[in-house]
Amino acid sequence: MFLKIEGLKFRYKNAKEETIKDFSIDINKGETISIFGESGSGKSTILRLLAGLEIPSSGLIKIDNDMIVNDKNFVLPEQRDVGMFFQDYALFPHMTVAKNIKFGLKYMNKKQKNHRLQEVLDLVNLTGLKSRYPYELSGGQQQRVALARALAPKPSILLLDEPFSNLDTDLQTKIRKELKKILNKTKITSIFVTHDREDSKSIADRVIVLNQGKIIDKGKPKDIFKS
Amino acid sequence: MIKVRDIKSNINLWSILSLIFIILIVLPNLNIFINIFNESNQNWNHIKEYLLKDYIINSLTLIMFTGLFTIFIGTSLSWLISVYDFPFRNFFKWGLILPLAIPPYIGAYTYNGLLNYTGVIQSFLRNFYNIQVNQKYFNVMSIKGAIFIFTIFLFPYVYIITKSYLEKQSSSLIENARVLGRNSMETFVYVVLPISRGAIIGGVSLVILEVLNDYGVVKYFGIPTFSTAIFKTWFSMGDIDSAVKLASILMFLVFIILILEKFLRGRKKYSYTTSKITPISRKRLKGFKGKLAFSFCFLIFSIGFLIPTLQLIHWSLLTYKDILNIRFVKLIVNSLSIALISSVLIIIIAIVIANYCRLKNNFLSKIYSKTTLVGYSIPGAVISIGVILFFINIDNRLYWVYKMINKNSAKLVLSTSIIMLIFAYIMRFLAIGYNSIESGFEKVGNKFFEASRTLGMGITETFIKVDFKMIKPAILSGFILVFVDILKELPLTLILRPFNFNTLSTKAFEYASDEMIQEASIASLIIIIISVISIYFFYKAGNKEEV
Ligand SMILES: Nc1ncnc2c1ncn2[C@@H]1O[C@H](COP(=O)(O)OP(=O)(O)OP(=O)(O)O)[C@@H](O)[C@H]1O
Ligand SMILES: [Mg+2]
Repeated sequence: MFLKIEGLKFRYKNAKEETIKDFSIDINKGETISIFGESGSGKSTILRLLAGLEIPSSGLIKIDNDMIVNDKNFVLPEQRDVGMFFQDYALFPHMTVAKNIKFGLKYMNKKQKNHRLQEVLDLVNLTGLKSRYPYELSGGQQQRVALARALAPKPSILLLDEPFSNLDTDLQTKIRKELKKILNKTKITSIFVTHDREDSKSIADRVIVLNQGKIIDKGKPKDIFKS
Repeated sequence: MIKVRDIKSNINLWSILSLIFIILIVLPNLNIFINIFNESNQNWNHIKEYLLKDYIINSLTLIMFTGLFTIFIGTSLSWLISVYDFPFRNFFKWGLILPLAIPPYIGAYTYNGLLNYTGVIQSFLRNFYNIQVNQKYFNVMSIKGAIFIFTIFLFPYVYIITKSYLEKQSSSLIENARVLGRNSMETFVYVVLPISRGAIIGGVSLVILEVLNDYGVVKYFGIPTFSTAIFKTWFSMGDIDSAVKLASILMFLVFIILILEKFLRGRKKYSYTTSKITPISRKRLKGFKGKLAFSFCFLIFSIGFLIPTLQLIHWSLLTYKDILNIRFVKLIVNSLSIALISSVLIIIIAIVIANYCRLKNNFLSKIYSKTTLVGYSIPGAVISIGVILFFINIDNRLYWVYKMINKNSAKLVLSTSIIMLIFAYIMRFLAIGYNSIESGFEKVGNKFFEASRTLGMGITETFIKVDFKMIKPAILSGFILVFVDILKELPLTLILRPFNFNTLSTKAFEYASDEMIQEASIASLIIIIISVISIYFFYKAGNKEEV
């Protein structure tokens, strides 16, 4: 088992109810998992817990047999080797595309950094735009930069929060295909969040259906979305 | 249940430094409270019996009338500026903030010099019209005079806050009232005053806190209030216990005011409309009404800024030959460097605490941010006493260390050094820096911070590479606000400065107190010019944001 989540519980500070109730799942290396659910069901929260941006009240997370969080341990986000694609991209507005992407490559020397930059830019088809600032890019381009930035440090797990929201339908279909290609190419273990069943159907190996912080269904996309 | 994990994840550079800073801020204040219950001595009995009543009555009179008058002037001006158009409105819009550039103690001796027997006005009347005026009407050195000074130089607090509140209000509010057949005056009284209550109270409580903090005006005018009494019991009578008792009564008064403020302001914060609204369309005032509006603004602007500034310029021209020498240059260097050092420290501390608080957002962090803010409501005289006691205490404890370093070391080392003054500045002005930095962080939000963490950067690295770059404007504006406030500061500097250390403000005050009003003008003008520049800067910056 590559990623193991067991009995995860979590509540936001001023929330009445637990936001995540007893969430458990095992994920294999290289698998693409989709978390599917309505707005407010807790999808983003699961990703935040995985990334270390929130601390669960109980439960555990293991990555590659290393304990990431339980009652005794807490590995800081920067030490988790987990990449995250944010719902609103969170591109650093004061840095160029190149700087944004190189941000996470702190252990490489200059040459390695530039090499890696070129690699991911090719991967997401953005070669010509590296010296632009985020506000000089279209929504779809920004979105690809965000993906490139998350992929650049070669994280062991990639978390994607609604990677297709904020885009018009045509672009959505196109990017969906591209993302599928990229995920296949890099063989990265990934979890992506969506409230669109098309997304889940076309990209995911397995789907988890979330409702009010609880898993209500899980399985292959074709079984889950039969009707 | 506390988990080991939670403790581990909470301990980092930022949380440790924040804790240390907060403790350092709280300790001197504790000194005041611990000493309240010291047994009262004979001197205290004397104070209680014969003087305390005067202190209370005078302080209350000052804050009540200043409060009322600043409300009247501040709100009426903000109403005029935000709903009407008249000649020079755009100038007055920021020109009416300028009285804030003149610290009340400078205003006090300028007006005294202007109005007294040898002043311009009386000389003019005497020499040209041979009129001898009744001195009674020209004497500002009274409690009425002090109310006048405070009102005219502090009303901009009410004006600024109320104006920016009114500007955020929807036009429909006021137009509705007009449609319902109310005239302007009625709209003002029945609609505008009630809805902007929160803003007005926010502004006037700043005014009141400034009045209670003041030492310069009341000392110069010879009005016994808490500030002057605390100074006198401590420094002339050497009675620490009574000074502490007075300080604690004053703190109690401040406390009541803060509670009253909360209570009167109600739930509404004064900027609760954030969504887009149609701004008030200003009504053009023509003819006589336009002239009237102009005259009112011009009158206030003249009394609050133009006249005193012109008077100071005139005095500067008379005295600059005697004043501008190497000692004066040293004075400027002193002032600027102590303001610079203290402001930098304040901004650093504010950043540390604000960053910790936004990341932790829990009960403890709320206490931290309240503690940081409280310093600004504590009058200078009270802070001074807390800080002196604190430093003497440290000196006593460190005496053996001093002796190890230097066999003949004096007993009081820190408490006779400039460090004590800088420490007090930090306590008092941290709130201003903190407010700026906090709103800077608020604007940026946490998402860039979080993105950076998931890209492998720790809290400190993230701060340097991401947050710092993004909150730069907030840092700059916080720095300027604090810097100017320290430059103007008087009570703390007067009490806590090392022997023979002078700044522009203490020197100006010394000259004025020694009946050398004209000699005080250049130091005062420098303070005013720097303040005006910073106000201009904020007016510009503020305007950019509005667009
Ligand atoms: N910082 C917070 N403090 C308190 N409650 C929060 C916070 N963030 C989210 N919540 C609440 O937790 C619940 C789950 O939120 P979450 O963001 O995980 O939902 P989501 O499934 O990602 O929704 P969406 O599809 O709209 O992004 C919601 O009810 C939300 O209101
Ligand atoms: Mg979400």
